[in-house]
Amino acid sequence: MDSDPINISPRVKVLLSFLLTAHLFALVLPPLSVQTRGPIGPSPSVSTGLEWVEPYSQLLYIDRGYAFFAPDPGPSHLIQAAITGPDGQRREKIYPDIEQQRPRLLYHRHFMLSEFLQEIYHPPGPPEELQKVDPQEAQYWSVARARYESVRQSIMDHLRHEYPGNDVAIARIEHLLPNLIDYQQEPLELTDERLYRVLLDQPMQPGASE
Amino acid sequence: MNQTSYRLKTWLLQYVGAWDKFWFAPRQPQTLSLLRVITGAMLLYSHLVLATDLTSFLGDTAWVNNETVRQLHDGTFGVADFGWTYLSSISNPALLWSHHVFTILVTACFAIGFLTRITSPLAWFLQLMYLHRMTGTLFGFDQIVTYVAMYLVIAPSGSCFSIDAMIRDRFASDQRGRFWNWFFPAVKATVFSNIATRLLQLHLCIIYLFGGISKARGQTWWDGTAIWYSVSNYEYQSLDMTWLSGYPRLFSAMSHLTLFWELFYCALIWPRITRPFMLVIALALHAGIALALGMITFGMMMIAANMVFVSPEYVKAVASHLRFPKVRAAA
Repeated sequence: MDSDPINISPRVKVLLSFLLTAHLFALVLPPLSVQTRGPIGPSPSVSTGLEWVEPYSQLLYIDRGYAFFAPDPGPSHLIQAAITGPDGQRREKIYPDIEQQRPRLLYHRHFMLSEFLQEIYHPPGPPEELQKVDPQEAQYWSVARARYESVRQSIMDHLRHEYPGNDVAIARIEHLLPNLIDYQQEPLELTDERLYRVLLDQPMQPGASE
Repeated sequence: MNQTSYRLKTWLLQYVGAWDKFWFAPRQPQTLSLLRVITGAMLLYSHLVLATDLTSFLGDTAWVNNETVRQLHDGTFGVADFGWTYLSSISNPALLWSHHVFTILVTACFAIGFLTRITSPLAWFLQLMYLHRMTGTLFGFDQIVTYVAMYLVIAPSGSCFSIDAMIRDRFASDQRGRFWNWFFPAVKATVFSNIATRLLQLHLCIIYLFGGISKARGQTWWDGTAIWYSVSNYEYQSLDMTWLSGYPRLFSAMSHLTLFWELFYCALIWPRITRPFMLVIALALHAGIALALGMITFGMMMIAANMVFVSPEYVKAVASHLRFPKVRAAA
């Protein structure tokens, strides 16, 4: 039962070396697979290796990409909730809200939730043309959309539970970063209304960003 | 030919020797024990904060409710993953609260080093269950605190700065058996302390390397505006640093330094001559994230994780200087 040996046998060292090497592969391959993914999909060699370690890395939550503020710092995404009471009175709440969620760690969890909703967003669809041209891609589209709708519904259900008897609707809001050159010439408040835009949930249009 | 084979054999033996020394040289536990205190305290804080709004994150009426979490992992929306957790099956609020109180108690015991051989793996396992349940509400802090807790499971991290050390010394006897010695480990250099240290060191190198690579794919880390755009994000902001816009040389230097520091951390953290510089930059960078970008927990935990590159002898000397009796006695 003494697990604190000063020396261990060569046989145990070989076994441990094998396990340690496998663990290191499980650490490296998930972020590598993120970086080696291109327009035609993941790198075949990396994804082959990843298949071997994925269950282990997912179970231990080491299947992360570590892309903090990368590739570029971008805008924030918020959830705007419109809560309408039985008397027709309407109030709006924004998530995250530093005044409502304290301490900062709790605020940050709400912030990550709103970013998660944006991250998994997929527009309504798929378009009929896609179903004809690429049924598999159309299937991916449907599944991705179903995931977004499920999480969105869960968020609305939570708000209905928090505000019983009220109608709830939510929208995604993008909070843009001010352009540096514009800011240097004419500083503006980071909460300036010009920096906010509502992200519409509508089928993808040719040339549209979403 | 003989000379070639001799050289190859020498090279292989040197490589095996270096591998053996890197992984299997015994190491003192002081640095890991200090990390246990910090990691346990941060985990405890995380669970206490969660307790202020528990049913918003767990249960059937959470932001992401049980059914949705199960679907996110079971393949309903594509490929299934192995992010298994029993917490997505618990609906009863009383049971959730009981479980959470238990988790808080276990984590507190882990932080103070009480029954660490049990509470260390248990605290890590419970944290892992929360992570898989709280999909969509996690960030870097959750990752790093869980990784450090994971590697501490391997090491005898309760051997100092702990209640276990007090119990061991209070009831010291030559008659104690192997189980007692395992359960209340002595302060001594062990192979498993070294393995835990090496794994965390390498994991940090991987985190920073891929953090750097992903930044290198962007534009603003190269043109130097990334730091300004980071501090001008209102939702992250905890300290108004937008005045940096008037100092382009400063914010661009900070952007470039961050990028190159992350990219080369995995190489420059190992030589003794460059290690102090890398650690000072780590301290400055993560303190900046903690103070200006609102991620106090993440910044503090990353600073703590970087301490794994501080030698246990140094920690022992500082602790002895600060008059920690158990460490002084061991020294």
